Amino acid sequence: MTSLSANLSAEDMMESSLHHHAVHTNATDAGVVMKEDKFRGHVNLRGNPQDTAFMVAVESVLGVALPTRANTSVRNGDTVVYWLCPNEWLLIVASGTQGQLEADLRSAMDGQHIAITDISSAQTLVNLSGSGLAELLQKSTVYDCHESNFPAGKVVQTTFAKTGTTMCKLEDGSMDFVIRRSFSDYFFLWLQDASEEYGLRVA
Amino acid sequence: MHHIYCPYCEEIREEEEYSYTGEAHIERPKDPASISDEVWGDYMFFRSNPRGIHHEMWYHAAGCRRYFNATRDTHSYQIHETYKMGELPTVTAPTKAAPTKAAAQGDAS
Amino acid sequence: MSQVNRIATGGRIDRSKPMSFTFNGKTFQGFDGDTLASAMLANGVGIVGRSFKYSRARGILGHGAEEPNALMQLHKGNETIPNPRATQVELFDGLISSSTNGWPSVEFDLMEWVGKIGGKMMPPGFYYKTFMAPQNMWMTYEKFIRKAAGFGKLSLDPDPDTYDKVNVHCDVMVVGAGPAGLAAALEAGRSGKRVIIVDEQNEFGGTLLASNQTVDGVEAATWAEQATSELARMSNVTSMPRTTAFGYYDHNFLCALERRTDHLGPVALTGTRQRLHRIRAHQVVLATGAIERPLVFGNNDLPGIMLANSVSTYIIRYAVVPGQRCVVMTTNDSGYQTALDIQAAGRTVVAVVDSRHAPDGRLVQAAKAAGIEVMAGHGVIEAQGSKRVTDVIVAPLDEAGDKLVGAGKTLSCDLVAVAGGWSPVVHLSCHTGSRPVWQEDVAGFVPGPTIQNQHLAGAIAGEYRLSQALNAGVQAGANAAGTQSTQVFDCGDESEGAAQALYIVPHTKPSSRAPKQFVDLQNDVTAAGIELAAREGFQSIEHVKRYTAMGFGTDQGKTGNVNGMAIVAKTLNKTIAETGTTIFRPAYTPVTFGAMGGRDIGVLLDPARHTAMHPWHLANGAEFENVGQWKRPWYFPQAGETMQQTLNRECLAVRNSVGMLDASTLGKIDIQGKDAREFLNRVYTNAWTKLAPGKCRYGLMLKEDGMIFDDGVTACLSDTHFLMTTTSGGAAAVLGWLELWHQTEWPELEVYFTSVTDQWATCSFAGPNSRKVLEKLCTDVDLSAQAMKFMDYREGTVAGIKSRIFRISFTGELSFEVNVPADQGHYMWKKLMEAGEEFGITPYGTESMHVLRAEKGFIIAGQDTDGSMTPYDCLMGWAVGKTKEFSFLGERSFSRPDTARTDRKQLVGLKPKDPTVVIPEGSQIVMDPNQPIPMDMMGHVTSSYWSECLGHGIAMGTVKGGSDRMGQTVYFPQADGRVLAAEICSPVFYDPKGDHHND
Repeated sequence: MTSLSANLSAEDMMESSLHHHAVHTNATDAGVVMKEDKFRGHVNLRGNPQDTAFMVAVESVLGVALPTRANTSVRNGDTVVYWLCPNEWLLIVASGTQGQLEADLRSAMDGQHIAITDISSAQTLVNLSGSGLAELLQKSTVYDCHESNFPAGKVVQTTFAKTGTTMCKLEDGSMDFVIRRSFSDYFFLWLQDASEEYGLRVA
Repeated sequence: MHHIYCPYCEEIREEEEYSYTGEAHIERPKDPASISDEVWGDYMFFRSNPRGIHHEMWYHAAGCRRYFNATRDTHSYQIHETYKMGELPTVTAPTKAAPTKAAAQGDAS
Repeated sequence: MSQVNRIATGGRIDRSKPMSFTFNGKTFQGFDGDTLASAMLANGVGIVGRSFKYSRARGILGHGAEEPNALMQLHKGNETIPNPRATQVELFDGLISSSTNGWPSVEFDLMEWVGKIGGKMMPPGFYYKTFMAPQNMWMTYEKFIRKAAGFGKLSLDPDPDTYDKVNVHCDVMVVGAGPAGLAAALEAGRSGKRVIIVDEQNEFGGTLLASNQTVDGVEAATWAEQATSELARMSNVTSMPRTTAFGYYDHNFLCALERRTDHLGPVALTGTRQRLHRIRAHQVVLATGAIERPLVFGNNDLPGIMLANSVSTYIIRYAVVPGQRCVVMTTNDSGYQTALDIQAAGRTVVAVVDSRHAPDGRLVQAAKAAGIEVMAGHGVIEAQGSKRVTDVIVAPLDEAGDKLVGAGKTLSCDLVAVAGGWSPVVHLSCHTGSRPVWQEDVAGFVPGPTIQNQHLAGAIAGEYRLSQALNAGVQAGANAAGTQSTQVFDCGDESEGAAQALYIVPHTKPSSRAPKQFVDLQNDVTAAGIELAAREGFQSIEHVKRYTAMGFGTDQGKTGNVNGMAIVAKTLNKTIAETGTTIFRPAYTPVTFGAMGGRDIGVLLDPARHTAMHPWHLANGAEFENVGQWKRPWYFPQAGETMQQTLNRECLAVRNSVGMLDASTLGKIDIQGKDAREFLNRVYTNAWTKLAPGKCRYGLMLKEDGMIFDDGVTACLSDTHFLMTTTSGGAAAVLGWLELWHQTEWPELEVYFTSVTDQWATCSFAGPNSRKVLEKLCTDVDLSAQAMKFMDYREGTVAGIKSRIFRISFTGELSFEVNVPADQGHYMWKKLMEAGEEFGITPYGTESMHVLRAEKGFIIAGQDTDGSMTPYDCLMGWAVGKTKEFSFLGERSFSRPDTARTDRKQLVGLKPKDPTVVIPEGSQIVMDPNQPIPMDMMGHVTSSYWSECLGHGIAMGTVKGGSDRMGQTVYFPQADGRVLAAEICSPVFYDPKGDHHND
């Protein structure tokens, strides 16, 4: 067994669920490029959007209002907020800031009916891009990802092969995927297989 | 493969995002201890299973994880409407009255 | 080498690209652009197979999906493909093909003699009547039938090809790229909508590719090419040739099989051989065309008897004339076009035999003007020949075509082109449950009413003329795309004579004694057979189908169904409309299992879920067990150990020092809100009102019927915050269950649930030294027995990581669970292993966990329970709150008479009489092993293990009235004749007072 040094930073103790796939690289002209945005803070937030106090309190902490339209997202610097259902949002924030965010939210909403759950380790954020992306998505999800149905900023929770994902279209046409930790290996195996004809590069 | 409008996601989604979870508008008896075995048994086990208009629950398992109701024709598979929990259907079978909270409770009391 | 039937010029073949192929071992030549069928016909191949039941010689009948006879076996070894139709196989150089049946060869078939002798022995229902009794002979019969009948063979080796699936979406899906489909796709495509158009053939055009007509003055095939290239230029249109839409499902969902490399060789060199497209369309245009109907007459299955339209297609599209002297038998004008095509190809038209008494259309005039003999008011009543048609008998018919009105005459010929009218290809429209309706004026079934967003165009709706089809296509495309169009095509085909609705040509003898008059060639169903079925009382067309096998299998009644229904109707004195039709099912043509499986094979068949510590388990030689989708370490064998030795070592380590289990897979649900307690009160059997922060409690979850469905420990983090654990396999179901009750029945309760199963990695370490291990790494929590009691929960820092520490036990030993964010789980596991090294900390897997918990009599929901066990049945009444205010889920059912019985099966301990025995799990339990069979079954063994710690086998099982049978002996008769015995006892074998976990 490898002996571990006593004074490691928090980051040194951490291992993304996709860590062992990071070594895979492929041709530079790959049609699919995968980039993991690891160790971001992921916080699940529940609350009543009809409750002004709740909405105001959240905005005061995030600096941006929670999206209330179905399947939408908002961005504010490093912070991204996904609408998940009428009373549920996913907040994705800079790595390591989720603890402070939770504390700030709790103090801003003391006594309100809310739930705040740190799920940073439960999932990871993966960006996929490239000329093969559209076809890759057709192989992988039943959702219609065509630009006419999936504009930038849209967020959709659906199936990805035999697992689930929350996906968001970015301005540059690439897509962010939230992948559950325990399904990460399956996700990568699927990705590797489905992108074979386009070439896969892990950035 | 059904194509189902989720009243919470406000979109039509593929059937594989959903699970069917049985007949809608079956209300749990408010005071189980005071009702007969027969009434309790009806609540647990008996369902209408009609040919035609059927009100049923679906769970958007791979989506927003909300339960909602659908009015679906069990013969043609046409979905006439979907509606949120707590709402009543607008499409009902011609011969039967719309299920109401009172009716569901009436069975149980 | 000589292609005797090939025309020197014309056709859509490339004579500069010759290709050689083999059929039944003989080598032939064809050209690029040929199908296997056209190449066989070019070479004068007559017999392509033997029939299913009677083993009669069969030749090529059609030119596409309707072909019932020419089922081929392609390629060799593991590349072999059974049953494609030769008419749909594109020729490539080196193609190897053979017939799918016929022994010893299709030219000389032994079974034919059996068929001839036994013909009378094989009426419809033959299998039902003959092979049902005696039942024990079925195995013998089956071997005989399987050898004699059936079609192609599969390779038993792995398929070398790959297949995949895609999900696609469009505004308008057009099925069929003949005239109607092309017109529809152009119209919809020009509107900018997302359009998909598929066609099963290698190039778009359908009947346009084999037509002499013009479209607005342009040659039909040229118009098709122009339309195809316009579609290809539209970025919003996806054109897919070689793609069969084989199924049409609810809510405008279609499946289409794209054959990507089948036309290039036996195996795809790169990429996937076939791709299954799962298509969700807003609007669907069905432009699937029509299939020409054969006519039913004596020996109408002889090689050389073909569909007239197919003969024309072979001539014009493939430059092949499949005979020298042709008789055309027709009931409508289209047969005359074939006569003209044959004559133009330089072969002899002996006569056009027309059942109509006064045919007079444009094409009739043209044929007469070309000097072709027309025998109006006549019918071919019988064909003659052994391996190929040599003569036909032609006789005059009455106006209705019902009776012969004069003597027959023999015409010598080697080709009979039959034009019996058209059957719209309604198959896809049927798949969604729509029943076709008989339309008298088109003499065919057309699609019936539907709830799909479906539009029809062309021959599928009985619009058989080219101009009709094109114009209908424009309108269907416009309707589907929500546009308007006034475009009208002119093809100069307005004057066409009325067709006669004729299905069976009468013979001088009744059907039962006439030469066999075939209806369904693939299933060998005859007119006599159908009449017999009707006489035997089968009146519903669905029953006739099943009794006779008409329309079964890969054929799906494409050529035979309407004729069969007409015969049933006639026998029953009904109209076809009254008799109705059977409906067709997916798949329209066969689909490979490979395509249905796609990439969901091998490691991708089912997701394998891994914990954060998985790399460590792999590196340390774990054997894995599937628990739900999780891969959990089952045991950690060391070199030279048997599995039992490993388990013994692992269990003793826990009992004597310390062992560690990866418990990350347990379901975890974070519960927040001021009503969280009340919610727990309602879904668990026990009381949660008084559980203090920092405490944990075990709970049983029941369905409303009172039966256990999950269990686990829930910790109170604060008054409004709880962490629930579930079984590893039950996590999603439990979360769905909680949400169900919250969303549907108790929305007023202020509580939220969030899955945190993947958030936390759980190191569970147990044994008398477990506290010492933890003390080395955790400095900010008082872990002493007084400060941190059994079932306590603390937050603290372990190895520098903020952790959740639980003192709970599933082993009966002093035990801790450390939960850390999963990103740090692997690190934490390694730190604990390092800290435990001095105590010999031993990683253990699920099997040792099972042994350890069974020694303590702890149940595993789903192993010791099966959805029929109440808490009382599991002797867990202690876990049921008796004075709870709210009637928790399942409580009411305890007093139902059946649930309240005292003689229900109860979960008890079973101590083998012979201590060395481990009773097999699943063994049935009886009280008297000498009772004659059937014995009274008292229950069964749910869990059974060797306990190294106790030195004997232990088991748990359900026994009727078991709780009152303590000390009694029960028996377990085994399949091998042994009878094992055990004493009923408490399921708690180890440390019944709980001293160890309370330490």
